[in-house]
Order: sequence, then C-alpha cells, then structure tokens
Amino acid sequence: MEAAAIHAEHAHHHGPPEANRSSRVEPQLLGMLLFIISEVMVFGAFFTAYFFIRVVNGDQWFPFNGDELPKLVAGVNTAILLSSSLTLHWAQTSAKNGNRFGLKAGMLTTFLLGFTFLFIQINEYIHIGFAPHDHAQGSIFYGLTGLHGEHVFIGLTLLAIVTVRAFRGHFTPEHHGGVEIPGIYWHFVDVMWIVVYTTIYIV
Amino acid sequence: MPAAVRHAGWTRATTFTVLGIAFSYALSLGARAGLGYDPVLDGEAVLQISLVTVPFFFLVGLGLFDYWGYYMSGRPTRPEDHSGHGAKSWKSYLYPNTDHKVIGIQYTVLSFFFLFVGGLFAMLIRAELAQPGRQFIDANTYNGVFSVHASILIFLFIIPVFAGLANFVLPLMIGAPDMAFPRLNALSFWLLPIAGVMMLGSFFAPGGSFASGWTAYAPLSDSAPIGQVFFTIGVQFAGASSIATALNFLVTIITMRAPGMSFFRMPLLVWANFSTSLLVVIATPFVAASQFFVLLDRALGFNFFDHGQGGDVLMYQHVFWFYSHPAVYIMMLPGFGIISEVLAVKSRKPIFGYRMMAFSLLAIVALGFTVWAHHMFVSGMQNWIRVPMMITTAIIAVPTGIKIFSWLATLWRGVLRLDTPMLFALGFLTMFTLGGISGVMLAMIPITIHVSDTYFIVAHIHYVLFGGSLFTIFAGVYYWFPKMTGRMYDERLGKLHFWLTFIFFNATFAPMHLIGLDGMPRRVADYADKYAGWNLAISLASFGLGLSTLIFAYNIIASWRGGPRAVGNPWRGLTLEWQVSSPPPVFNFDAIPTVVGGPYEYGVPGAVHGVFADQPPPVVAAGAPAAKTPTDE
Repeated sequence: MEAAAIHAEHAHHHGPPEANRSSRVEPQLLGMLLFIISEVMVFGAFFTAYFFIRVVNGDQWFPFNGDELPKLVAGVNTAILLSSSLTLHWAQTSAKNGNRFGLKAGMLTTFLLGFTFLFIQINEYIHIGFAPHDHAQGSIFYGLTGLHGEHVFIGLTLLAIVTVRAFRGHFTPEHHGGVEIPGIYWHFVDVMWIVVYTTIYIV
Repeated sequence: MPAAVRHAGWTRATTFTVLGIAFSYALSLGARAGLGYDPVLDGEAVLQISLVTVPFFFLVGLGLFDYWGYYMSGRPTRPEDHSGHGAKSWKSYLYPNTDHKVIGIQYTVLSFFFLFVGGLFAMLIRAELAQPGRQFIDANTYNGVFSVHASILIFLFIIPVFAGLANFVLPLMIGAPDMAFPRLNALSFWLLPIAGVMMLGSFFAPGGSFASGWTAYAPLSDSAPIGQVFFTIGVQFAGASSIATALNFLVTIITMRAPGMSFFRMPLLVWANFSTSLLVVIATPFVAASQFFVLLDRALGFNFFDHGQGGDVLMYQHVFWFYSHPAVYIMMLPGFGIISEVLAVKSRKPIFGYRMMAFSLLAIVALGFTVWAHHMFVSGMQNWIRVPMMITTAIIAVPTGIKIFSWLATLWRGVLRLDTPMLFALGFLTMFTLGGISGVMLAMIPITIHVSDTYFIVAHIHYVLFGGSLFTIFAGVYYWFPKMTGRMYDERLGKLHFWLTFIFFNATFAPMHLIGLDGMPRRVADYADKYAGWNLAISLASFGLGLSTLIFAYNIIASWRGGPRAVGNPWRGLTLEWQVSSPPPVFNFDAIPTVVGGPYEYGVPGAVHGVFADQPPPVVAAGAPAAKTPTDE
C-alpha cells in the first residue's frame, strides 16, 4: 500500500494514454446490447414461471374463475407503445440530420406516448378485478406485466433525460450517441411488450 | 448545510442512510394508512422496504451517482481530470475510486475479509459437530450458521475475489489504460459491502438469520422468519455487482485490446474471464428472478410457490439451478485462467494446446447451461429429464479433462520452479481432479439417489470449491502479489502455508466421502453415535486448516507493510502486466504497447509478446536479482 502511495507521488501528471480501439463497435453500444441480453434473461425466468404454471401444471388460463383479461384495451395500449417506437425513430433520424425541431418534438411525443401506456396499464390493474394473491395465474399476470411496466418506467426515465438534454441543445449530428443508446433500450422495451402481450393476453 | 454533508463522502453517506430509513418509514406508513391496513406501523414492512431503498440512499451519499446525476439533469459534467486515479494513502481505499488497480485491491481485500468471516463460521460448524449432541448452538442457529457460511463464501468471496484479481490484472494484460466503464466499475465494487452487511446483519433479525441454506428452496424460504429477506435482497445486490463487472470485462476485452492482440494472442486468464463474464451476463438474471419470486410471495402475497393456489414449488429449483449450475463455472473458470498463467511461467514452457484451452472454456460455457437439473434428481421432477441431464453432465467433464491433460502436458519436461504459486497450482491440479471425479460419480443417477444430501456432497463441493477455486485464488494472490503491492511475500511462510493447507484440507474433507457413503446426512446439527470418531478427527483437522490461514494473513500483511521491494518482472513472465513496474504506473502505460506474438512462448528463442515504444527502465530493488528481459529466454 505504501509502495503504491509513493508511486502515485512521482507519477507523471499527464493523462492516461489513449486506449487502442480493437473493435469497430462503440463501447457504449456493446454495453447496452449486453445489458439487454441480461434483461432478456430476467424476462426468460419470468416466462419460465409462466410456462410451469400454464403448461407443466396444465392449469386453466384466463378467462378463469370469472376473471377475464381486457384484450381490447391492452391491444390499444400495444398500438400506443408501438407508435412510440416510430416517433423515437423520427427523433433519432432528426438528431442525425441536425433537425433540432424534429429531435425535440420526437422525443417529447415518445415520452408522452410511453407515459400514456404506463397510465393505461395502471388503470387496467385497478379495474381488472383480481389480485396477485388470488391465484397463481394472477401472480404470473401481475408478475410479467409488472416486470414489463418496471422496464417501461426505467425506459421513461432514460427518455426524460434525453428529452431534457435535447431541449438544452446537447446533441449534434456528430454527437448523438446519447439519443441512440437509450433509444435501443426503448425499442427493446417495445419488442418485449409484444412478446408479453402475445403470451399473456392472446395465446 | 455544512460542506461535509454537501460533498460526496462518508458524512454525506451516513446522512443519506438516515434519510433513507426515514423515507422507508414514511413510505410504509403512508401506503398502509392509505390502503387501510391495520396496524399502520408494521416492522417487517418497514424492514423490507429499507433493505431495498436504503442502499441506494447510501450509494448516492457516497457519491457514486454524482457524475450520472449531473448528466441526467442536463447540467455540464465535470471533465475527467484523472485526479481520481491511483491511491494516495490507505485511506484512498475507503472511498470510491475509478482506477481499476485501486478497485482490484478493494475487491480482493474485502473478499478476503469475507473469507475469514466465512471461515470462522466453518470453525463454529465443526466445533458443533465435534461430538454428537448439542455443543454450543441450537439446531436453528446451526442452520443459520451453515447457510450464512455458504452464502458469504460463494457470493462475497469466490465470485468477487476473481473479479478483483482480474480487475487489477486484466486491463494490464490486454494493454488497456483502464476498464471500459470506470464509474460502473466503482459502483459494482460498492454494491458488495452492502450485500455483505445484509447477510451478516441477518443474525440480528427477529427469528434469527436465514436458515434455508444458500439454495433457499421455496416454499421453505417463503415461510421462514424475516431473516430470509436479508438473503433474498442481499443476493440481488451481489448479483447486480457481478453482472455490472461482467459487462465491463466483456466490453473491455472486446474493444480495448492493444494493437496486434488478436483473440488468439490473449493470455488464457483473459479468455477465462471472457467466458466467465458471458456466463454471468446470461445466467445471473435467473437467480435475481428466483429471489424476486420469493420476495413477491413474501411481501405482496403472490402465489408463485403456493401449490394450493396453482403455484409450482419445483419451478423455484429449475430457475435457481439454471443460474446456480453455471455459477459453479463462474466460480471455477477464472481459476482455470490463473492456473494457465502460473503453470506456463513456472515450468518455462508454452501452454500445451493453447487454442483447445480457449475452445474448451467456450465449450464449458455452452454445456454449462444444459446440465442444471442434475441437482434435482431426487426432487420429484419428471423422470424423463434425468437421463439427458446425466449424459450432458458426463459430457461436460470432457472439456474440463482437456484442460487437465493440457496442463499436465505443459508440465511435461518443463523446468519446474516449485515456489508457492506453483505449489498451489499443482495442489489445485490434484485436488480438483479428485473433486471432478466425484462430480462425474454424482452425475450418475443411481449414485446420486444413494448419496443425495449426505456428506459425500459436502466432500465433493469442498474439493471443487476449496481444493479447486480457493487453491487457484491462493496461487493467483501469491503470483500477482509483487505486481499488486510492489513487495515480495515471504517464500518460506508461503510454502509452510501451502503444505499445512494441503495436508489439513485432505484430512478434513477426504473422510467426508466415507461417512457420506455410509449415510451421514448433511445440514443437520446432530448425527448418530457411529460417526463420532470420524467427526472428531474431521473437526480437529479443520481447526488446523483454519489456523493455517492465519499464516497466510500474517505473511500478506507483514509483506505488504515491510517486505522487500519487488522488481517489475520477478517471474520473468512474457505477458504485458509484467513489463511495467511493480506496482504499475498510475496510468498503466506511457504508450500502449504493440503485441507481436503469443503470450506463452517460453523457451522459444527470440520470442516476443509485447513491444514497448519507450521501454521504461525496470525498477530494481537493492539486493534483488535484476529481472531478465523476455528476449533473454
């Protein structure tokens, strides 16, 4: 420890050497992709629980015990979330082309669409008529949609940061990684919802 | 507000921790009053909320989110002036630091602290088992002690200590100035003490610590006293820490290698951590999810594991082992990397079958995901799953066997130097092979049915995790001690440590095979009188094993304080970390070296691994032999 201390005193005070870039992939992009892999695995574990209760145990799925899932409302909500991916793409393209207005309007619309999705989802919970402790089917329904809702919340937080920075003019056509990388996460949240919606509501 | 509270540090962290507890009370009271629960103040509810939220308050207080906070709010971030690099005194290690070398030492020292804590629990277990009947602790406390022993040593020693050693060495080995995400690196370290405090703190919970083993099977963990939650939530923090580190390693290895360092010129330690990190990123979310299920069942009344409500208890075991079987490779593959480094350098020969060594690591990663249900042969799951799992388990011994035989071929006709790291490496080879053989035995369904939940299992796991992982950790710590501290350890004490550990390890765990085959059950505080003789012998040997660790502690502490100065390259290694001074310069390299050859060309005339533009003169301590440059080989 002392040796390390002595060494620090005599160190050169220029910065570290520039690291060699041994891959064409941006480190931040790669980090986000790996993070998404581990997120997919969290969903995978929840789908395992779903699989065991619905397939291995062969329990009856909704409509069940008088409880039904609001397919139509959730379907409209799906459309809302999917359209937010399109507006996000508009914002990202605008950032690349230096279109300030498109970036700001796109980000704001995306954020509001995502917020609406979450709002409708919570409203659905209030009116659905069963609780997670009523039966395992309810546990899985709330577990998977709640896990996804949590990810929507994280995604919205990221979108809020990007929106604030977009309004402050922090992104340029050269430096728009701060729009791209949270954007990938948001697209992942959307794709994941299609899987959740299909397995929980439709199948 | 006083400056100490405004600026990141321990004062602010303490203040924020108190704020966090107040927040948890407010949230719990508000929610319960709003939803009309009675009583409004529920201690368990407050505790569960605190365990989740207070750590974040603490981390914010300590300043780990400061940079991101600035970024998030759209304010200008402070440009990195590199003043955070390096340690100025021992106090620097008590604060967040973004230097991978400082973080590596923080990780390693903290993990060894947990090794000693976990080891003390082991001593308590053996003291209780020295004779039949009750000695010191009642059965419930005993269950808690062995559960915390396993959880601490798995989640807070073996997994993070490998991350710590690799944190220090890996960026140097691939010629990088730091890890890819230094702030994330600091955050992943500071998640660990939180997990450790939780697991140890569970002893103060009403009803005692968590007592359902490190596996925490549902529905036992669903209905256990509140101490269980300390495990459920503590594992989340340890798991988040290892996922963040793994992600960091993968990005660093892929994007920051020195020019010329292709994947097949990487040292095998880098390959090993690459494979391990893949396992962590893919598998660890499953243990997180399994503990989410338990937490949701306990805190919010979900029915994941309530059979009466349509839940499935076996689902817990499937999800848990889908992580925890790969986890045994997470606890072993980095050790394989360390052994490859030590054996090549200490036998002065190229690693035999370098490419097969790398491919066998990847094969273990892939096969590791196909064997989980061999932990569940007697669980009552569908019978048809058992045979495929038996076959894949037997197959996974093949890549491991390739590694063992390649190491033996590396030793063949080498110029062996039997110093402490090498002795531990050879000890690993023999002990891990024994543990691997009992592992293949356990893959066979009839044998598992016979010895399930006996001491045979205890013997097997300690041969692979102590004789396997811990021996590689000791080898690695002795091997890189000069590089990490700039000091040499005492060779005589090191050898004494090895021989005492090796002898007492076998005296402790070898007899467990016999009493296990004879039917002595594991995880029980008492046993039949006929096992008394063996158990007394095992307990005595285990105390010797515990004492031998004190030699290690003394050697490391005394050498770190006052050992002779180490030269830059005391082992005449070719890999890049040995080409810089000991300890390495603050920014690792003045200029990034260029790699022109393989990392293990020992004994090959004229072989060079890395070329430095401006080779710094090696730091030579008085009285120590000057290091030879690699080209002298």
